[in-house]
Amino acid sequence: MVNLLIEFLSNTGFALAGYQNIVMILVGIVLIYLGIAKGYEPLLLIPIGFGILMGNIPVIRDFGLGIYEKGSFLNYMYYGVMHDIYPPLIFLGVGALTDFSALLARPSLMLLGAAAQVGIFATFLGALALGFAPNEAASIGIIGGADGPTAIFLTAVLAPRLIGPVAIAAYSYMALVPVIQPPIMRLLTSRKERLIKMEEPREVSKKEKLIFPIVGFLLCCFIAPGALPLLGMLFFGNLLKESVVAERLARAARSSIIDTVTILLGVAVGASTQGDIFLTSKSIGIFILGASAFAVATAAGVIFAKFMNLFLRQKINPLIGAAGVSAVPNSARVVQIVGQAEDPTNFLLMHAMAPNISGVIGSAIAAGILWSFLGG
Amino acid sequence: MYGLDAISAHNGWQLAALGISIVFTCLILLSLAISQIHKALDFWDRRYIYYQRIKKLVQRKHRSEATVSDPVLPKNVKESACQCKLLIERIGEPFPLPRLIDFSKKCGLLNSHSSVNDLLQAKLIIPDGKGYFLWNHEVEKNIKVSMKMNS
Repeated sequence: MVNLLIEFLSNTGFALAGYQNIVMILVGIVLIYLGIAKGYEPLLLIPIGFGILMGNIPVIRDFGLGIYEKGSFLNYMYYGVMHDIYPPLIFLGVGALTDFSALLARPSLMLLGAAAQVGIFATFLGALALGFAPNEAASIGIIGGADGPTAIFLTAVLAPRLIGPVAIAAYSYMALVPVIQPPIMRLLTSRKERLIKMEEPREVSKKEKLIFPIVGFLLCCFIAPGALPLLGMLFFGNLLKESVVAERLARAARSSIIDTVTILLGVAVGASTQGDIFLTSKSIGIFILGASAFAVATAAGVIFAKFMNLFLRQKINPLIGAAGVSAVPNSARVVQIVGQAEDPTNFLLMHAMAPNISGVIGSAIAAGILWSFLGG
Repeated sequence: MYGLDAISAHNGWQLAALGISIVFTCLILLSLAISQIHKALDFWDRRYIYYQRIKKLVQRKHRSEATVSDPVLPKNVKESACQCKLLIERIGEPFPLPRLIDFSKKCGLLNSHSSVNDLLQAKLIIPDGKGYFLWNHEVEKNIKVSMKMNS
């Protein structure tokens, strides 16, 4: 009887917990707090935060409970992460949610989305310089794309052991866009530039919106086939939305499917961050490099917008360059807030959506390219 | 290995340069393509207007060619044209030239060879480009118009 009790007590979380579990549980609580109390990306941070709690409950090995033990509940959830199932499904929902009108009205703004991807490749170089292997460096660099699903997609194929830190870094920084971006935007622009008012975008016809997903998909995937799963689902979702006749499918994609997958992805990614795997010097490096990736991407977008102004008759507000880092629609909202802080009558949100959406496409292309370079 | 050596050892510079170039190329091409979508759609929506314009231009061209050939058309050619037209209606279009000549001989048309030759020169009979011949209704119309005007 006493032996049984002792055995039971020695198998409880209290007996098995190490300091790493405690630290990670605190991190999970902080993420949940940020999501609920501060409203930073609650739909992402709450599932991830709770996933961290689930993943860091100390359990007996080979008991079929841990996320890395085959056949466990969490392991099944993690399957979708490891086999790149969730990110394309999230892209399906994003496509069904997104209106590409702003992009179609002024396609030249797409270049800002391309410029912001400089952050990915600059961080890739930085990570190589810090001693990371090329596949790990690519997974860290993609954090600069400010797109959680894309980061998970690439990391799952190139550096699966880094999924936890990369995903947490990507989603945390996406949540912190309103904190990270404004100082960089203000630093790189003059007040005069921030006051620039852009002309109203032209009206886009229904036919244009219908043709775009097909043209976009074919063109992008012929050039970068590695982006097929992400861009295929993104443009397919958008075609469902714009076709109108498949409204039921579009509604499912933008509500039940994306919500279900977000829960599964968030919890699985959170649970994968077990203390002994997560709390390493590599993770610290990933967080530092991730922050710099965001900063470089923001700066590259703003600087490229200023560069474009050298050639444009109708000047663009360089603040919208910051929206080139995906993080839809957070970074576009930040542009609107920073712009309105200078002039409350200046509405930049619609204009910022163009680079914002092209940033999503650009980061998916960058992921496809890095995969094709380093995946073999 | 760390620093610039690590970047060079892993071909980092080349990968980064090529990567960003491909991203730019892809998005530039996409922006060029989508900037043309509304123009292409505009052209498609107006296709009937353009078609009518082209049709009118072609008709005008044919008419001007026919009026040039009409004044030199002698009376005997006009008569053979009337006869041959009936024969062509019987044999159907497009038709082989030897068959028209044979048929005109059987029907008792005088100087079948030279009559058909006159019609060819007057562009009342035109080749279809595949070895057969057609009756030129445009030239025929002009002949009728000029005949009415003369009378």
